[in-house]
Amino acid sequence: MSTIQQSTIVSGLSRKGIAPPSFIGALGVIGAFVLAALLAPLVLGDDPFANHFIPGGGLARYQWPSPAFPFGTNVYGQDVFQQTMLGAQRTLVIGFVSGAIIMIIATLIGVVSGYFGGLTDAVLMRITDFFYAIPFLPFSLIFVHFFGTSLSSVCAAIGLIFWRTGARVVRSVVLSLRERQYVKAAKAAGAGPIWIMRYHIIPGVAGIALLYGVFGAAWAILTEATLSFIGLSDPTAISWGLMLNQAFANGAIRFAWWWVVPPGVSLTLLLGALFLLARSIEGAVDRRLAD
Amino acid sequence: MGWSRYIARRIVENLLLVLFLVVAMFVLFRLAPGDPVATIVSPELSPQARQQIMDEWGLSGSLFTQFVRYLQGVLTLDFGQSFAYRRSVWDILSEKFANTIVLVIPSVTIGAACGLWLGLRAGMSPHGWSDRVSLWLPPILRGVPPFWLGILLLMLFSYGLGWFPIGGMRTLGAPDRTFADRFLTLDFLRHLALPVLCLAITSLPEPILLMRQSVRGVLRDDYISYLGLRGLPASNFRRHVFWNSSLPVVTWFFHMFGYTLSTSVVIEIVFAWPGLGREMANAVLSYDYPLAQGCFFLIATIVIMLNFILDLIYPLIDPRIARPAEVTA
Repeated sequence: MSTIQQSTIVSGLSRKGIAPPSFIGALGVIGAFVLAALLAPLVLGDDPFANHFIPGGGLARYQWPSPAFPFGTNVYGQDVFQQTMLGAQRTLVIGFVSGAIIMIIATLIGVVSGYFGGLTDAVLMRITDFFYAIPFLPFSLIFVHFFGTSLSSVCAAIGLIFWRTGARVVRSVVLSLRERQYVKAAKAAGAGPIWIMRYHIIPGVAGIALLYGVFGAAWAILTEATLSFIGLSDPTAISWGLMLNQAFANGAIRFAWWWVVPPGVSLTLLLGALFLLARSIEGAVDRRLAD
Repeated sequence: MGWSRYIARRIVENLLLVLFLVVAMFVLFRLAPGDPVATIVSPELSPQARQQIMDEWGLSGSLFTQFVRYLQGVLTLDFGQSFAYRRSVWDILSEKFANTIVLVIPSVTIGAACGLWLGLRAGMSPHGWSDRVSLWLPPILRGVPPFWLGILLLMLFSYGLGWFPIGGMRTLGAPDRTFADRFLTLDFLRHLALPVLCLAITSLPEPILLMRQSVRGVLRDDYISYLGLRGLPASNFRRHVFWNSSLPVVTWFFHMFGYTLSTSVVIEIVFAWPGLGREMANAVLSYDYPLAQGCFFLIATIVIMLNFILDLIYPLIDPRIARPAEVTA
């Protein structure tokens, strides 16, 4: 991309009220992890559990960071750098899928509840209240224990809970949107509820829905890492939570900092980027709703 | 709608929530793939012994009779016997619950106090250092996984510097008979320090942001401008701003309490803290379903109760919400 194009994008974004440095920075970090997830299997090989050996023939346990192993090796003689890069795959997929699930459920419940009001609203909001009362970590712990540590099961456990916040916020925005002139005009012109929701309400809440999708992705990544750390992870798929689980279980936190720091820093960077992204979206949405 | 009707309605709504929760738990635990009996009862047992164990754990009879028996148990706070401990679940819960509470309350309180202080400073001095900190610190802190923060604290302060113990609630062999032995010793405080620090840092971002925003709003109000114009001493003025903008943080405090109760599962694992959350994770991982059910029910009920208390005290803190029924109706 040429410099001129880039600068127009940045100034275009700043005109729309999205703070460029933190927004671009957040997108850059997320993009870097996507790139790492895509390139790692090609460059580093796709077996994160391959054991490496020292010239003498023994397992290369707890090797300090070196040119051969930039982040050192763990107790099993596995390459921590390779595991960290490959670990981005599962994390990103979980974040994206769960974020999408959360965004869709929150939008549907919030829009239907807010637009129809009355009994529909009462029932849907009581259901939301019910999900608010469920402690997320204990619930996902039990759910994943019962239904397995596959990607779909973890995403379901997370998606089932975290739509609750977004649904409430979307509903409150819909409550004000449905009183707007253009909605009344559409109604007077004979538009049905499906039409109005599709063309007048949902575009109005898209920004908020996206915001809670990004939050959802962050909560999902954090929850998955936490579950993996506790010991509920797919042992055949590398993830940052699994790496920390093994480092902790092996007592490596006493000395092998190179095994503990990379997965944690990766999580922090990715989650921090998502929260920064969310803040940029929030700012833009606030300004738009205030218009 | 009057005040007493509002309270009555909230009580009924919350009781319904608890009832739904109880039903959902039954469904969740029975829907579990695999026969719960198979995981507890060894296939080598004789049919009679098998039957006896199933009766004992409430696993015999039709699903309906099982449900009725389960409901009776929950309503009388009898969650049955733990598979692993061979003790009443309720006994274990009440013991572990106290350990979790002494961890959660100081954590959330310290988090709230620091957040209020920083948020107040930031709100009152725009573009100062505190304002910049309060803008950048929250998203960074939110990104740090609590359990990893715990590990870092252990690496630094326990293994590295040796200032604090590496986990547990007291030194092995220390007396733990009385309440004072358990919670009022220096040894206990040394064990408490790191997990509390970890949870307090975790709970810091929201009060900073809430307080900063709230202070900004309050400073725009006319009565505050008037106080400023009257030439009130700075400390006095700050006190007025503080009390008028702390309301959102009060609400947050209750939510954070529930959230921290949830997060304590993993923090207690990192610091080997013998609390409710660690017990629950162990119970789930070791297929001790009565105990897992009991822990889950207790944590969820506390969250419901916190929301109920918040509903009740909110109008007392903020008299502007005189008729809360209108808000929720």
